[in-house]
Amino acid sequence: MPQDGLGQPEFEKRGVAAALIHFMVTNPALIIPAVLMAAGAILSPVFLTTQNLLNILWTVSVLGIVAMGQTILLITGNFDMSVAYVVGLAGITAVIAQLYGAGLVASIVLGLLAGALIGLLNGAIIVLTKANAFLITLGTSILVYSINLILTQSKTWNVSVDSFLLLGRGKLFDTVYYSVIIFLLLGIVLQFMLRQTTFGRSLYIIGSNQRAGALSGIRIDRIKLATYVFCGTTAALAGLIMTARTGSTVANAGVGMDFDSLIAAVLGGTSLFGGRGGTLRTIVGVLILGVLNNLLVLLNIPYEAQQIAKGLVFLAVVWMDGLLQKR
Amino acid sequence: MWTKTRQFVLQHNVVMLLLFLVIFFSLTTGSLFSNGQNIHNIARQISFDIPLALALTIVLIAGGIDLSVGSVLSMAAALTMGLQPYGSWFSVTVALIFGAGVGLVNGLLVTKGKIVPFIATLGSMTVVRGIMLTYTRQQPIAGSDAAFTYWGAGSLGPIPVPILIVLAICVAVHIILKYMQLGRNLYAIGGNPEAAFLAGINVFRNKVMAFVLSGLLAAISGVLIASRLNSSTVHIGLDSGLWAIAAAIIGGASLTGGKGSVLGALLGVTTLGVLVNGMNLLGVHTYYQIGIRAIILIAVVAVDALSAMNLRKKLMMQSYGNRQ
Repeated sequence: MPQDGLGQPEFEKRGVAAALIHFMVTNPALIIPAVLMAAGAILSPVFLTTQNLLNILWTVSVLGIVAMGQTILLITGNFDMSVAYVVGLAGITAVIAQLYGAGLVASIVLGLLAGALIGLLNGAIIVLTKANAFLITLGTSILVYSINLILTQSKTWNVSVDSFLLLGRGKLFDTVYYSVIIFLLLGIVLQFMLRQTTFGRSLYIIGSNQRAGALSGIRIDRIKLATYVFCGTTAALAGLIMTARTGSTVANAGVGMDFDSLIAAVLGGTSLFGGRGGTLRTIVGVLILGVLNNLLVLLNIPYEAQQIAKGLVFLAVVWMDGLLQKR
Repeated sequence: MWTKTRQFVLQHNVVMLLLFLVIFFSLTTGSLFSNGQNIHNIARQISFDIPLALALTIVLIAGGIDLSVGSVLSMAAALTMGLQPYGSWFSVTVALIFGAGVGLVNGLLVTKGKIVPFIATLGSMTVVRGIMLTYTRQQPIAGSDAAFTYWGAGSLGPIPVPILIVLAICVAVHIILKYMQLGRNLYAIGGNPEAAFLAGINVFRNKVMAFVLSGLLAAISGVLIASRLNSSTVHIGLDSGLWAIAAAIIGGASLTGGKGSVLGALLGVTTLGVLVNGMNLLGVHTYYQIGIRAIILIAVVAVDALSAMNLRKKLMMQSYGNRQ
């Protein structure tokens, strides 16, 4: 029985059937993909082909990596709406560094550093002023967008170091893309960190009861800062992979990923109110989103209507999350 | 009168900021800034932002926030233009009803659905934007009634018509906030929801009304912009929501609720309008303007949080002192 954070199993003495029902009610996230898969198989003949499923995994892996950092932040009860343009910034930094003669490693490090810096900025402002994390990161989001515009001058810039492209296009054993492996590995390692280390456990405490955490000696400010830096870095990593995939970058690469990463995390069962969730769950959430998108595309539903669907799904899941909180 | 004015200036740093900007741009741009035509332009420009700032002020007073105003604005503009063949007044009515309807849904999500306001309105922002994109098929819609442009683009003597409309709305909102039960209730709810509830205020109904007013005001802004441009595009209203939040907070509203006024919102919008106008006159590149706007938003939210923190500390010290 999965129990996140500090929750106590409350039905140890109940039967297997009761436990199963309880499991299904508390983990709607695991039922949705099953239903979606079935629906997909019925609605579209090409849906359940290995190629299509691998395509879905490949498509979602960039968003998935962004959602990993977002999940860690959500567990502490914080947000980062700046991830979308940080995705762009990292790619732009790397590509411009390459133009100035930086090699493979240097350009990757610089790209990651750019993301970490924005994370540091977010974290520092929020820790120092205790301001609304949502609005502050929306502000830095626009700030990063303007930096992207200034750096790119609204033009498309191409990758000039060929080995860099492997990050997005290379496959392990010629079957699975590196980005998919990074995504899944990140989810597993982070889940282990969350559950098995003192640091990980303290994230849940900060999210569920900050005051208790502070009184029990957790250095809240320091950890918050670290999670923001981490989130910025994962967004940057996703940006590098995205750039390597397309071979070029633009100022608004990654637009929409702020909202999508939130939806993915929440769909997986991570709470927007902190203290509940995990990165393995987010993998599930990202897959749901990917399958949903894939289905909508296969069914020829226009992009505009997809936006409506996304918003409605978001509201529904958040509403259910609120109901679960109250119980 | 004089002491009252002095008190107001001391309480609202925005007055000083506005004065500083006006003097700064007058000096740096020469006669470009302080001439009749430019002041006319600023007045017209800010008249489209004022309803949004009022919307945010009302919701912030009630302790909420509304991120959906930008989407509502663009959908209202699209409806105003798209339904114009059926009659301008019909299309305006539908646009306003749409805005109020979105506000109603927002209010229900926040009160009955118990979703935090900024999450609920983030969701509705996405949905409404999707509806707008679906409705317009991402194409601009041109107006078909030339007479309708009077409300956004016309002038009455030297004064732009929209600023007159908007000032009338300001008076109405001022009366609602200061002299009507609804307004007093909103301040009470935003200041201390529990105390308001215990005092017998219907928190549910008043909060929903705040969101309805917010949606309605956003739609008014959309109608005026559509009238001004005589068309609607998918680009309008993209960042106006955040800009309106900044204007409302500069004008004295707070994310902690219970504070804000119409006069403050007016001053906030004017300050930001003067800033944008001055930057344009100075030839500041758009890319840098976007960055400057972002820094202003961050600074405004951070300062608001810091002053709330100071207030909490002060109150804590006081209660500690009383106990001793």
